Amino acid sequence: MIKVVNVSKNYGEQRAVNNLSLGIEKGSIFGFLGPNGAGKTTTIKMLTGINSPDQGKVEIDGWSPELSSVREKIGFKPEEPHFYEYLTGLEFIKFAGNLFERSYQKKESDYLGVMESAGLYGVRDKIIKHYSKGMRQRLGFAQAIINDPEYIFLDEPLEGLDPIGRRELKNMIERLKSQNKTIFFNSHILSDIEILCDQIGIIHKWKLVYSGSVLDFCRGEDLEKRFIEEIEKIEGSHSVA
Amino acid sequence: MRRTIVIAKNTFKETIRDRIMYGILVFSFLFLFSITVIGSLSLGEDLFIIRSFGLAGIYLFGLIITIFLGASLIYKEVEFKTIYIILSKPVKDSEVILGKFFGLLASIIALIGSMGLIYLLVVWFNGGGFDYRAMLAMVLQVFEFSIIISVLILFSTFSTPIASTIYTIVVVYCGHLLSLMFNYVASAGDFQKYLLLGAYYLFPNLEKFNIRNLVVHGFGITQSEFLLTAGYATIYTSLVLCLAHLIFRKKEF
Ligand SMILES: Nc1ncnc2c1ncn2[C@@H]1O[C@H](COP(=O)(O)OP(=O)(O)OP(=O)(O)O)[C@@H](O)[C@H]1O
Ligand SMILES: [Mg+2]
Repeated sequence: MIKVVNVSKNYGEQRAVNNLSLGIEKGSIFGFLGPNGAGKTTTIKMLTGINSPDQGKVEIDGWSPELSSVREKIGFKPEEPHFYEYLTGLEFIKFAGNLFERSYQKKESDYLGVMESAGLYGVRDKIIKHYSKGMRQRLGFAQAIINDPEYIFLDEPLEGLDPIGRRELKNMIERLKSQNKTIFFNSHILSDIEILCDQIGIIHKWKLVYSGSVLDFCRGEDLEKRFIEEIEKIEGSHSVA
Repeated sequence: MRRTIVIAKNTFKETIRDRIMYGILVFSFLFLFSITVIGSLSLGEDLFIIRSFGLAGIYLFGLIITIFLGASLIYKEVEFKTIYIILSKPVKDSEVILGKFFGLLASIIALIGSMGLIYLLVVWFNGGGFDYRAMLAMVLQVFEFSIIISVLILFSTFSTPIASTIYTIVVVYCGHLLSLMFNYVASAGDFQKYLLLGAYYLFPNLEKFNIRNLVVHGFGITQSEFLLTAGYATIYTSLVLCLAHLIFRKKEF
């Protein structure tokens, strides 16, 4: 279970998250959406133990992700993943795997399998400097599941993938769900969120404005339309006030 | 410990494959071979010239690459956000710092080692035999560079590569002039005296590691002198790395 309780975070003077609370059940796919600069990435960084909240607390199975034992069971794909440019994809994946107690004894064939399933088998020995944007996204995803995590955080995983890559990734997410993994991801591609997610959270101007099931939010219309409607409603009420 | 080694190995690979590394390596090899020519121009002093130029060259090339690679070591991780991938995994801040340190140190040892090998060959071909004392000079150079790498890591936790480079050059420069500064302490006024003494204890005493002059004149150092110097480097390096860790731990990403 992922719990976010009254979390606030500032970067200096800049607000990034304001009094956010969320609860995400184990085994569900949670879609986190909101306009640019709403605070999605900041939330994920706190959930993966990279930053700590100024106020409130985040918990995974009842413990703070700042404990390294909690991070053993977390996978994270950053927004625009950057890597060590002079390593090959395979070397990088091994590096990532070796940082976990639970995966450092993985065999060569296991790593090749992961590269295969991420669609990177053919370029595994190429240095990352020569990877395309989509290949980097795939590598970012591959390193996020290298430790067979229970909780997977994906920051805009579909960005920059070709249509086939997007379908593959969506299938992969479905497969992870069938293995009872909990997936937290944010995306601006709402049609994909609509298909994949059980639950969504919407954040706007650093505050949560909706959290619940996709169906309840959409009320028979498509997610993108409803999302824009809601955001504009809030913007409108702000400008009146 | 295991994760420190994983990060160190990764840093080693990343730095050794940096294009600047090949550049320096090729350049230093050319230099080492060409000093034979310079040596032969001097009458009868050729071995002396070869050895002093050779050792100075190894020091200088090593210093350039160390500063170049070290100044961006931590900064790059943060700026290019590779740090997100590392910190979301069960890695401690201290393991990042130590891994980066040992990784770059290993690269630098590999570089000094290969330049040293060429140097030994050049001296041998010029009839100088096996210059084992030069090896001691290079080992001490490695100890000096461990201090310099730790200083670079400290600076690169909070400043840009350019700024870190400048600060480190200042530290290296002052570090080599310390003993000279100390000579002025007795004759200085009260205020300057404390300033000089402060600098004397703050900056690393890098001249301790310079036995190149002794070596080319055929002298060495005693075992206890060696141990003392190595111990000094280890303690100074550890303290600076602790400080770097403190700053790194407080950082927001
Ligand atoms: N490291 C940082 N330093 C200063 N301000 C930051 C930092 N990271 C984020 N911010 C600010 O915090 C706010 C929230 O940013 P965040 O990256 O969480 O947004 P986001 O919802 O992920 O947006 P996007 O959809 O564009 O990725 C923004 O106003 C941003 O400018
Ligand atoms: Mg973002």
